[in-house]
Amino acid sequence: MPDKADDVKLVERIAAGDAEALGELYDRYGRVAFGVLYRMLPGPEAAEEVAQDAFHSVWRQARSYRQERGSVRTWLLAICRNAAIDWRRTRGKRLEREVTIDAAAELLSDAKVDERVVDSLRAEHVRAVVGQLPREQREVLALAFWGGYSQSEIAARTDTPLGTVKSRVRLAMNKLRESLKDER
Amino acid sequence: MSQERHPTEDLPAYALGALDDDERKAIAAHVETCASCTGDLAQLEDALYEAAAVGAVEIEPPRDLRTRIVLRHRDAPVPSQRSWGDRVAELLRRPVPAFVPLVLGVLLVVAFAVVGASRQQSDEYGRALAGVVDGRVVALAPSGANPDARGSVVIPTRGSPYLIVRLPAPPAGKAWEAWVLRPAGSGLTAVPAGTTERGDVFVMSLTAPLGAGEGVAITLEPATGSAQPTTQPVLAAEKT
Repeated sequence: MPDKADDVKLVERIAAGDAEALGELYDRYGRVAFGVLYRMLPGPEAAEEVAQDAFHSVWRQARSYRQERGSVRTWLLAICRNAAIDWRRTRGKRLEREVTIDAAAELLSDAKVDERVVDSLRAEHVRAVVGQLPREQREVLALAFWGGYSQSEIAARTDTPLGTVKSRVRLAMNKLRESLKDER
Repeated sequence: MSQERHPTEDLPAYALGALDDDERKAIAAHVETCASCTGDLAQLEDALYEAAAVGAVEIEPPRDLRTRIVLRHRDAPVPSQRSWGDRVAELLRRPVPAFVPLVLGVLLVVAFAVVGASRQQSDEYGRALAGVVDGRVVALAPSGANPDARGSVVIPTRGSPYLIVRLPAPPAGKAWEAWVLRPAGSGLTAVPAGTTERGDVFVMSLTAPLGAGEGVAITLEPATGSAQPTTQPVLAAEKT
């Protein structure tokens, strides 16, 4: 599991124009970033294209990274996720490819975890925490995160009152936050 | 801290990216000025993206994706949030103490000398890596004591793996020694893979076979070489 202070130093080097540091950040998180993109996009070619764009965004935005806003991993994966959502809104629509409700319905896949990014004990803990959420809460998290749907879109697509969707999002997110608070 | 009411109810949905545009913009503006909500948001996002990292598909990215990402940025301009016009305008607005021009002049001369030498080495290493047209390139991580060291293992489709390395020349009587790291029980065993007394940017052949997934390290050893590493690695990758 990469050290968070080292991650911040890497971002500082990227902000100073060090392309090798970008490569080192890729060594740490490229695999999981690609895994996130692969899950959100229709195939490996799209994931590859968006991964390059996302790391270019990292290069351009490195100076704006603020440690108090969260870890480098969170920052990078958020950039990747946003890039994937943008891709789907533009090129994805043209290709008439969209993540279906069923495909996005679970927050966690059954795939094994990359231990370079999340150590296995911690991953078990994460799985247990997510597993304890009620199915309806897991579903709204997955639809919003992997599917990129807003709460109102989820309400319309699942024929659920908007207030119920909001309540599920709030409860699920607060439970994740409480249970996965950084104790390391 | 912002005097507005904290958007406690909607912050989780904001972290999840599940708000509609108007709501999202309002909360983004609040978070920018509220340290308390910034901290709450960081905790929500860290938890969410940790779960996402566990939920991501386990798949090997294309082998040359890293190389393409690095090459794209190797000679790119330094990323900047502000334009040069903004920076110049800001400088002109500040009063300048009398001693500053002299100090700046001296620093500029020193900086040109230092940056010039370092940039030249960095460019040479970059060019050497860019010249790799076939095979896989795996970066070696520098140790904390040698943050400027750079190294990569090149694993060609055909032929033997070799190293491209940027290290200073070893002290007199010493040499850089390469090691192939093989899994042994719960740890790794180091197999000697060649020594060199070269410095700057150089290519080093591995004299021991490198199996799939085995690691590589470089340590500083006596010029005659060692049977086992006697110092901490200056560059290493536990797996290739």
